[in-house]
Amino acid sequence: MTKLLEWLLGVSVVVTAWGLLTFDLLDLKVPQVYREVVWPMPVYLLVVFGCYSIATVGYRVATFNDCEEAAQELQAQIKEAKLDLKKKGLKF
Amino acid sequence: MATGADQVAGMSLVCFSLVLFTYYTVWVIVLPFVDSDHVIHTFFLPREYSVILPGMAALILILCVGLFIGVVTWKNRKPKKVD
Repeated sequence: MTKLLEWLLGVSVVVTAWGLLTFDLLDLKVPQVYREVVWPMPVYLLVVFGCYSIATVGYRVATFNDCEEAAQELQAQIKEAKLDLKKKGLKF
Repeated sequence: MATGADQVAGMSLVCFSLVLFTYYTVWVIVLPFVDSDHVIHTFFLPREYSVILPGMAALILILCVGLFIGVVTWKNRKPKKVD
């Protein structure tokens, strides 16, 4: 089974479970408190995923090492490339 | 380690996402189990807003992205060649 099929299967199982609980399609008589928690779940999971993404990006921005020599080397290579392209006629 | 502005920006992103996560988790998961006359409910909007507000934010985000793409495409359109 391909990864795509696995993911689709997993997602559809979760969505079915959420739908059954939220709209009470099986008349399971779940207590109101738990239904109150279940119905915003898709939005909640999206918000949590967004928070995790922001936190990961922020943390990696804060801990990324400054590479002084690599930065200077890159600037030199940029100058070289611009000179070379100007010779060949490209206008910036 | 990154220095100066990078560290500040990164750490503020981490703090912001922690605050957002805590507030939203309490709002969606903890509040239904708390008695409805507890004082903590005064800090949170009615539960419907916990779905409407992120939905609105997502719509506005998509609108901004679409607008940006539209503006950039408009600026880069070339006039038709005349033979």
